[in-house]
Amino acid sequence: MAPPAVNLRSWSRLGAVALLALVVQVAVLDQLVVHGAHPEVLVLLAAAAGAVAGSQRGAMIGFVIGLVADLVLPTPYGLSALTYVLVAFAAGGVRSLPGDRDGRSLQVATCIAGAAGGTLCFAVLGDLLGQPGMLDRQGAVVVLVVTVGALVLAFPSVAALRWVVRGADRSVTGHAIPSGGSATR
Amino acid sequence: MLVLASITVLTLDYHGEVSHGITHIRNGVRDALSPVQRGISAALHPVGDVFAGAFHYGAVQSENRRLEQQLGKLQAAQAEGAFASRQAGAVLALAHLPFVANITSTPAEVISAPTSNFQYLLEIDRGTGAGVGPRMPVVSGRGLIGTVAVSSASTSTVRLITDKSSSIGVTFGTATRAGNAIADGQGFAEPLSVQEISGPLPVVGETVFTSGTDGGAYPAGIPIARVTSVKTSAGGLTTTVNARPLVNLDTIQYVSVLEWLPQP
Repeated sequence: MAPPAVNLRSWSRLGAVALLALVVQVAVLDQLVVHGAHPEVLVLLAAAAGAVAGSQRGAMIGFVIGLVADLVLPTPYGLSALTYVLVAFAAGGVRSLPGDRDGRSLQVATCIAGAAGGTLCFAVLGDLLGQPGMLDRQGAVVVLVVTVGALVLAFPSVAALRWVVRGADRSVTGHAIPSGGSATR
Repeated sequence: MLVLASITVLTLDYHGEVSHGITHIRNGVRDALSPVQRGISAALHPVGDVFAGAFHYGAVQSENRRLEQQLGKLQAAQAEGAFASRQAGAVLALAHLPFVANITSTPAEVISAPTSNFQYLLEIDRGTGAGVGPRMPVVSGRGLIGTVAVSSASTSTVRLITDKSSSIGVTFGTATRAGNAIADGQGFAEPLSVQEISGPLPVVGETVFTSGTDGGAYPAGIPIARVTSVKTSAGGLTTTVNARPLVNLDTIQYVSVLEWLPQP
């Protein structure tokens, strides 16, 4: 069965989750600096979007979360959006694996791996765009800190994205917003 | 499609007018979030200090020992300091050095650690509303910490001297043995790299100051860093000079923004 489209209810839930995540990131996580790096919750949400909603819907959710993340970052606007689209799309790949694709442990594991990969991807893309200091020794520390932070934050991130996606699943009115292919097939 | 959309957004950010619009939106978000940041930052500062203390326990202990020794030396030097200070004041007044020419400064508090994991920036609680604007130097009691990169109405982002895009014209030495160079940031916890040295090489332990010659980006005479190593390659062709910032950029809480703009 095709997954439900991203509808108005899930859009509003996504907005609430993204806003809350932004506040948590800026006000709390940015303060928890370990050796010059801090945990990142928004990249986790993008990975969780892919793991929970699949590649195509996940990429769309990742794009929106990336645009929100870019609001507070000093890097070029759209860099996080591009990174999160790729992360969510890749994380959605686990849904093509055999077995229990909706199992929470698989989604959490995907989320953690996605956060690490997404951080690395952000650094590589930033370097390609000429941003200084993206690929150096400190990058390894950043990936490590983000991954350790993800161990704690992955469960609530997956739960939040499940709640967002449930908004689409439970839609009665079905004000569907095209999700770029598979959702409307 | 979404990859294309992202690339389009990125391209627009490099386009003049659209880029200004995006900057306005970003500033608006910063202003909206700053009250929350301030409140939570005040509450979390002790937690952050515990984190820093736990991860840098050895460094904190050695810093404590170093400070105790320094205190002893300072007490001994206090008496002669008063006389030296009078002399220095007279000399500086004659030289009209901009840094000591009573540049107006705005005190500010750090409300957020770096927002990016890859760039070394701080968020402070003063913006254009308090007269703080881009390119103004930011100092603490011990020396230069960076430059204002972006300002919204109520907050500003400071690019630290350790950021890889930071490059400062510096001077060192004495009246009879002075040199000029460029000090480049090398990233978190790394010393500054002192390059393009003209004149004699600096010696370990020497303090480097802003030279005021790099297009007037900084007033002259602000202390920046202390030289920690001077290494010349075997053939004597290249010399690597590193200098450690005087200010501990990890734990800084209060700063002053100098109302100084690059001189044309």
